[in-house]
Amino acid sequence: MTGPRETPRWDRLGPATAARLEEAALGILERTGVEVPVPEALALLRDGGAAVDGARVRIPERLVTWALGAAPTSVTLHDRAGRPALELAGRRHYFGTGSDCLNILDHRTGERRRATTADLVDGLALAEALPNVDFVMSMYLPSDVDPALADRHQAAAMLARTRKPFVLVTYDLAGMLDGLEMAEIVAGGRAALAARPQLGVYINVTRGLLFNEDSVRKLLACAERGVPALWIPVTSGGTTGPITLAGTIAINTAGVLAGVVLAQLAREGAPVVVPGFGGDALDLRTMVDPYAGPEPKGVAASLAHRWGLPMFSLGAGSDAKVVDEQSAAEAGMTMLADALAGGHLVHDLGYLESGLTGSHVQLAICDELAGWINALVRPVDVSDEALALDLVDAHGVDGSYLELDHTFAHYRERWYPTLFDRRGHEPWRAAGATTMAQRAATRVDQLLAGPRPAALDPDVERAVRAVVDRAEATAGL
Amino acid sequence: MNDTAFEAMRRAVVDGDADAAAAAASAAIAAGIPPLVAIDEGFMPGMKEVGAGFAAGDLFLPDMMLAARAMQRALNVLEPELQKAAVERAVAGRVVIGTVAGDIHEIGKNLVGMLLSTSGFEVHDLGVNVSPERFVAAVQEHRADIVGLSALLTTTMTGQRTIIAALQAAGLRPPVKVMVGGAPVTGAWASEIGADGYSEDAMGAVELAKRLVGAGEAAR
Repeated sequence: MTGPRETPRWDRLGPATAARLEEAALGILERTGVEVPVPEALALLRDGGAAVDGARVRIPERLVTWALGAAPTSVTLHDRAGRPALELAGRRHYFGTGSDCLNILDHRTGERRRATTADLVDGLALAEALPNVDFVMSMYLPSDVDPALADRHQAAAMLARTRKPFVLVTYDLAGMLDGLEMAEIVAGGRAALAARPQLGVYINVTRGLLFNEDSVRKLLACAERGVPALWIPVTSGGTTGPITLAGTIAINTAGVLAGVVLAQLAREGAPVVVPGFGGDALDLRTMVDPYAGPEPKGVAASLAHRWGLPMFSLGAGSDAKVVDEQSAAEAGMTMLADALAGGHLVHDLGYLESGLTGSHVQLAICDELAGWINALVRPVDVSDEALALDLVDAHGVDGSYLELDHTFAHYRERWYPTLFDRRGHEPWRAAGATTMAQRAATRVDQLLAGPRPAALDPDVERAVRAVVDRAEATAGL
Repeated sequence: MNDTAFEAMRRAVVDGDADAAAAAASAAIAAGIPPLVAIDEGFMPGMKEVGAGFAAGDLFLPDMMLAARAMQRALNVLEPELQKAAVERAVAGRVVIGTVAGDIHEIGKNLVGMLLSTSGFEVHDLGVNVSPERFVAAVQEHRADIVGLSALLTTTMTGQRTIIAALQAAGLRPPVKVMVGGAPVTGAWASEIGADGYSEDAMGAVELAKRLVGAGEAAR
């Protein structure tokens, strides 16, 4: 298989296991194939050398090899001003929120309730203000708008309220096209959006081997426009795939590779982002889809690195119902795993209850965890200035370093927590004897009370709103 | 004597051992135990035990499925005897379930169907992306007591309301009860659209179905 390979800090699979999984996925593509219910896509695949039988497509290895060579090894997302912000390549990782939580755990009341537009607006303001949140997703699904058009409202809100890169999630092709139209208005046209995309489009694919029509049409439309497409098939072990980790990941990987092939056939060099997650199984005791299971971590990331493809990972999601020890532990461990695996876009900060509930407080805690992890993976500076051998020579075995200019120049380079408490017992007690969650809630309130600098130019915002209004006017027609 | 036989039946179901269940059923026939007694006092207690273990979070779904498979093997053996004796096994109720039009999520719906089956209901699963017309036709065809409507998306849950209206228009309401489920579905939503009940999870759906059947009987 071609493609540049960069070993992440943590390569879960190693070359031999990765090769076996890749071989298994290629075998599935050749023998079983994938279902692609879109005539234009079938024509592209047939012309590309795949065997097409009805909607079933069997893809030969050489076509996959070609596509992996043709797909860009790096995708760069930009901030709203058009400056490069996140380069999805190599060992990098970036942290961002999740999307579409039905509920919010309201830290002001302790109540779990349906999320509203006001929560969406607050969540985006919070994500904008938190320093270690690198990109955003919609966080909440507002219950106070027409459910069929919630994706348009989310797209407009993200464009109007964040300058950070974001990931757009929409229901169907029409929703995606409306979202892209809004993004083009903000970027200054279709060419500008393709050249300096602030967003990637999340494409939810039914199953590893079964593509829904909208997912295929979205992929083709993104390829045509040069907008990064996040091609995300989901196979659930024991239900839509074998219960074993290897069996599930093999099926899902086949679907991932088929998407890469299709995108490259649609337009060679089309930016496509693959999952850095997969291989989960439903919890067969509770029937809940777990977000923080240990076994799949790093598996899909190892494969994506093997092919040198940009990826979209899933960390920080917790299965806890409230912000507690479980939510902090699950978020911290999964974020660390994805960072060490070089998971590029790592989403779902702030998720509780397996993605059904979001929490501002959990997001603030994840921001702190992200800061810690970012400091962990920073390369060690061994410059002369950092080694300071001259100081050792000068001060000998019993030198005192606290009052030295070198200390004054560098002490800020150490990571200092915002929420983790490092006070002594008495000062901690004097300051209210707070827990981490209490301090996080205070930080949320402070940030939400602060300035909200991300507002769009009013004319641009009106033009974006007009796309939402048009969708509302034509809904149900 | 019979106690030992009932224990072997219960054990076979709890262990999910289909061969042992079939053997225990054959042994019951040979020993002259009436088939309905074997079912009610031998195999069903095993099924209930596994169901309770699953509800408590001690057992896994595959444990339930293996138990149900063992139970079915025993029923296959006992069925000819039931027919010979011209007795019909009482069915807890007839249920038509499916995922509403536009929605292809099936895992939750399948689970509810399976648990209802293992609890003695006759279940007709229409699959996913089911139109209101198909729901109405299936209710009529199977003389259903209950319709279960699944929807996982906020964009498709409105389909539950449409189907209730279609059942109404076909003159099937209120005798035919409607229960709704799915991630975005709440008790408030169920009330708003005039459903008879809602459950947060599959085990709760079985309890709900039992209540709804009981209510239906009382009303008749």
